Amino acid sequence: MRPFAHFAPRSLDEALDIFRREGEGGRPLAGGTDLVVQLKEGGHKFPYPRYLVSLRRLPELKALGWHEDQGLRLGAGLTMAEVASNGWVRQRYPALADGAGLVGSRQTMNMATVGGNVCNAAPSADTAPPLLALEAQARIVGPQGERLLPLEEFWLGPGQTVLRHGELLTEFLLPPPLPRSASLYRRHTPRQQMDIAVVGVAVAVALDDGGRTLKKVRIALGAVAPTPIRARRAEEALEGQAPSPEAIARAAAIAQEEARPISDVRGSAALRRHLVGVMTERLLREAIERARRG
Amino acid sequence: MARETLERPRFRHVGRPVDRIDATAKVTGQTVYGDDLRLPRLLHVKLVHAPVAHARIRRIDASKALAVPGVEAVLTAADLPPHRTNPDARAQVLLASDEVLFYGQPVAAVLARDPYTAAYARDLVEVDYEELPAVVDPLEAMREDAPLARTAAIREADRSEEQGHITIEAQQEQAQSRPSNVSSTITFRRGDVEAGFAEADAVVEGTWRSAMVHQSYIEPHVIIADYDASGELSIWSSTQAPFHVRHEVARTLGLPEARVRVTATEVGGGFGGKIYLYEPLVAALAMAVRRPVKLTMSRREDMLAATPAPQAVVQLKAGMKADGTLVALQARVIYDAGAFPGAPVLPGCLLIGGSYKCPNLDIQGFEVLTNKVSVGALRAPGAPHVAFALESAMDMLAQRLELDPLEVRLKNAVEKGDPLPSGQPYPAIGLKECLEAIARTDIWRERHRIRQHPHRGVGLAVGGWLGGLQPASATVGLNADGTINVTVGAADITGTNTSFAQIAAEELNLPLEMVSVVTGDTRTAPYAGMTAGSKTTYTVGRAVKLAAEDARQQILAIASQRLEVPAEELEMEDGVVRARGQPEKQVTFRELGRLTTGFGARYAPIVGRGAITARRQAPGFTAQVAEVEVDPDTGQVTVLRYAVAQDVGFAINPKSVEGQMQGGAAQGLGIALFEEMVYDDKGRLLNPDLLDYRLPTTRDVPPIEAIIVEVPSEEGPYGARIVGEPSIVPGPAAVANAVADAVGARVFEAPLTPERVLRALGKLRD
Amino acid sequence: MPKRVITLTVNGETHEVAVEPWWTLLYTVREELGLTGSKEGCGTGDCGACSMLLDGRLVTSCIVLAVEADGCQVTTIEGLAQGGQLHPVQQAFVEKGAVQCGYCIPGMVMAAYDLLRRQPDPTLEEVRLALAGNLCRCTGYTKIYEAVLAAAERMRLEGARG
Repeated sequence: MRPFAHFAPRSLDEALDIFRREGEGGRPLAGGTDLVVQLKEGGHKFPYPRYLVSLRRLPELKALGWHEDQGLRLGAGLTMAEVASNGWVRQRYPALADGAGLVGSRQTMNMATVGGNVCNAAPSADTAPPLLALEAQARIVGPQGERLLPLEEFWLGPGQTVLRHGELLTEFLLPPPLPRSASLYRRHTPRQQMDIAVVGVAVAVALDDGGRTLKKVRIALGAVAPTPIRARRAEEALEGQAPSPEAIARAAAIAQEEARPISDVRGSAALRRHLVGVMTERLLREAIERARRG
Repeated sequence: MARETLERPRFRHVGRPVDRIDATAKVTGQTVYGDDLRLPRLLHVKLVHAPVAHARIRRIDASKALAVPGVEAVLTAADLPPHRTNPDARAQVLLASDEVLFYGQPVAAVLARDPYTAAYARDLVEVDYEELPAVVDPLEAMREDAPLARTAAIREADRSEEQGHITIEAQQEQAQSRPSNVSSTITFRRGDVEAGFAEADAVVEGTWRSAMVHQSYIEPHVIIADYDASGELSIWSSTQAPFHVRHEVARTLGLPEARVRVTATEVGGGFGGKIYLYEPLVAALAMAVRRPVKLTMSRREDMLAATPAPQAVVQLKAGMKADGTLVALQARVIYDAGAFPGAPVLPGCLLIGGSYKCPNLDIQGFEVLTNKVSVGALRAPGAPHVAFALESAMDMLAQRLELDPLEVRLKNAVEKGDPLPSGQPYPAIGLKECLEAIARTDIWRERHRIRQHPHRGVGLAVGGWLGGLQPASATVGLNADGTINVTVGAADITGTNTSFAQIAAEELNLPLEMVSVVTGDTRTAPYAGMTAGSKTTYTVGRAVKLAAEDARQQILAIASQRLEVPAEELEMEDGVVRARGQPEKQVTFRELGRLTTGFGARYAPIVGRGAITARRQAPGFTAQVAEVEVDPDTGQVTVLRYAVAQDVGFAINPKSVEGQMQGGAAQGLGIALFEEMVYDDKGRLLNPDLLDYRLPTTRDVPPIEAIIVEVPSEEGPYGARIVGEPSIVPGPAAVANAVADAVGARVFEAPLTPERVLRALGKLRD
Repeated sequence: MPKRVITLTVNGETHEVAVEPWWTLLYTVREELGLTGSKEGCGTGDCGACSMLLDGRLVTSCIVLAVEADGCQVTTIEGLAQGGQLHPVQQAFVEKGAVQCGYCIPGMVMAAYDLLRRQPDPTLEEVRLALAGNLCRCTGYTKIYEAVLAAAERMRLEGARG
């Protein structure tokens, strides 16, 4: 590793001050499971940092609260283990519990944070499709104050986000789930665990009051485009429809078209496209079934 | 666990499950591995690894690296002390001096006060390369118009490592005079293969590919060297082969072997990948700077620049008669050696034609050079590749002829007296017994029920290994307090020292606690061959047994004098020698210890000596069965149950023998399903880490049933035969056969990734 | 730039250590405190050989910067055996033959210990889930599963007695 400085602020304001004072060349450090590996291994997706600002001790990043009308506040600094085991998340946002519960090993889940997973901006991030499908918003705090952004607008490309120098992602806001809804995330990996998603798919569905048509459908895909994406045309094709096997298959086929995968060491574009179809179809069926059961 | 045992005499220690004598130190973190050693004035090495697969080095500029505080030296090939170089032997090209032959080849060494400083400065060394065309794929490398992987032809290939694993007389032809990437070939012919195919009722053929894989010991390579002012060179290395390292280092650096001390530090896994590689380089660095020097490789460095196992392409055609008699085998076996010769062509050719009786054989083996890291041994090197082809073909034949795959194998399995393709006859072996044991497993007996499930299936495969041969020696000494010390020169990786304690305690009829076993360094230990080729218990165990018998005779001789009773009338138990029928006439080991070690002692110390040479192999065979579930839409294969039956001759410590069988089987599952070093078309390794080089995890490996089969060997201690290697061999074939059974798709390429399974099922377009 | 002095309480003993910001917790514990039981197998958090508890949570210490652990409680493999008595997990690993080369074992034992604190009565599948971050290349895991299940049983019996 090349030499760098390290700061360990104890509040959000102090962290923002450090970035302001030290200038360009700093990187926030959350759980470190991606960043420390990147610092060690080289091949950086970003210029090598001059200094790191630890987010570990910022209480503002550990927010966790549920409100009937506003939904869930989820601090960016919560670990995967904390997210995956949280009762609100498990009950109301199961796709997110699925995603957080799949990241690496027990050890990884104890270190990696949901904010770090999103800010690392890997197309394969396991919490990204769930957060997209659950329509999360990201709260960003920086020198110019605060802004709230739909997560979909957060990523610009692999390893690239809208965050400007000195800005931090502090928390996510997830709207309350509709009645008769369900959400799920699954990924495909060659091994049963420890791998990076070759394809990740999250779906969130809500049925109408009679349970006969799909009131709302959200489909998000990981590792099949430069950023995690929503499969909007597939969503539109299903919303308002009866969840027939044919309609579900059609939506899965559209999602396949929306994917723009590449071939790399983890899988070919053809494999990824194929899996988007298979997995989207399976997940929609399972989610609709769960929504029906309530 | 089950055990298929022939008649056996009663033993007190051998044959009984025993805890490893080193286990307590290991579970508490007290065991000292190479990277845990500390020496005063130690410098840490980081190697500059070439970022290109084939190039000429134009210039190396170390000025920026040397400017980093804490950096003591940056050395290139030109800066090393005078030494023997051989451009054809990987370990004798200490640093690339002119031509870089593979991505990751070391071209310079940075020495610094701590590893972080060394690594940081390493990245500042500037090397100017003139890139040359790289050849990456072995089949392309064989084409007439292929670029040459190296500009100079091979003259003196080093095959010592391979011989450590498999020792057999056979002709291996060196490279032809015409420049070519084919560095050696082997041919075995028997009968008339065309006539054989003509009489066959079914003929199958195919091309099977196996990926390049890495041993992936969890401890990367670590070597420390110190050259002191008196001219003594000391090396601590996580090597399986201390005496081999001593020999090679002494030869390379022009030192007498007597002045080179090699200590095999506790090996954190080797599997054939830690024989001998960077010891001469690290020793040369220590000689250059006159300070102790340590090279601890990172995982990435180890994956780039150690000695993984080769990629192979096996073209096989096999013919069988309707009654299941195998009548013809024709094979072209191609191993990709990487940038230096040393691929396991010989064992591959012997095993593809030596697992079944077959009157007509035509087997050709090719060793091909490419611009990839050169290969070394991995547990039964070369064998899984050919078993993948042969055992897949056996299932395909059985299916075509509507025969039971286990019966077909039993009918053709080699037995004692059957010839290898080289003509050499097999000694007593237990392949049939292994198949019979597998026939009794739940998985095999339930296979028809399992097949009712639309996506589940059962697959069977066998495999074997011939084993290496090297001489060995051991000493057994009696201490002043009556306890026993056994000294050997073989690195203990698999629990062999525990087995040696059992052997010595057995021969001296002692409680196990009275025996201690130590692996000495090359200056203090009696010679032993490398811990490779599954031969440590088979060879060193015999030496320990002889040494214990010798010590026993010496003890009896002194006791006979003391008790005035003929030695034949003495018996020995729990450290007491007494006259048979006269229990009052006795002398204890403690007394004998004093009588042979004390001041003015009357007798010379008791030192039992055992030295053997091994000339006959004791091959080991295994049969394995897998139950898998295949997801036909994602291509994912899940192993639900797995069983391994292996003939071990005699299990001196069944607990460690089972562990060897289960561990090898799990490695077989790794190469069957996940493991693959992926290179791009420029010869760059794309997955030099344990994230994308996928070792099987606990989630992927079900509990493995181990069934010990015991068909005694003719020379091994108590009938023991080779154990370590065979268990890796059948994995890819067993899984491929199970996948075919489950979903009807035959996969010809290992690992059987979801992508390959989907393609075999016809589910992927383009 | 001078090194930073951090405070680490390792296996109950508090140390002040001068570290560079880029040193890992693993390197610091091994090189500065001399506790070499924890191993580096991959350096990227993929093999688990460096597993230790950091403020009670199992982490791969090869990707934790030492400065991030400032003020924390650390438990390493050296802290498990008490008063010369092996922890039941360690004892079961010895007895079940779950140890071969031993390089993964310190991390594996820590992961098993962590599991049994959270789940005293795990199923085989729960054991396989909890240990997935700890690679072993020698054993084929089978005897490790047996050891963890045996340790759980022993700890429950001892707990019931004690």
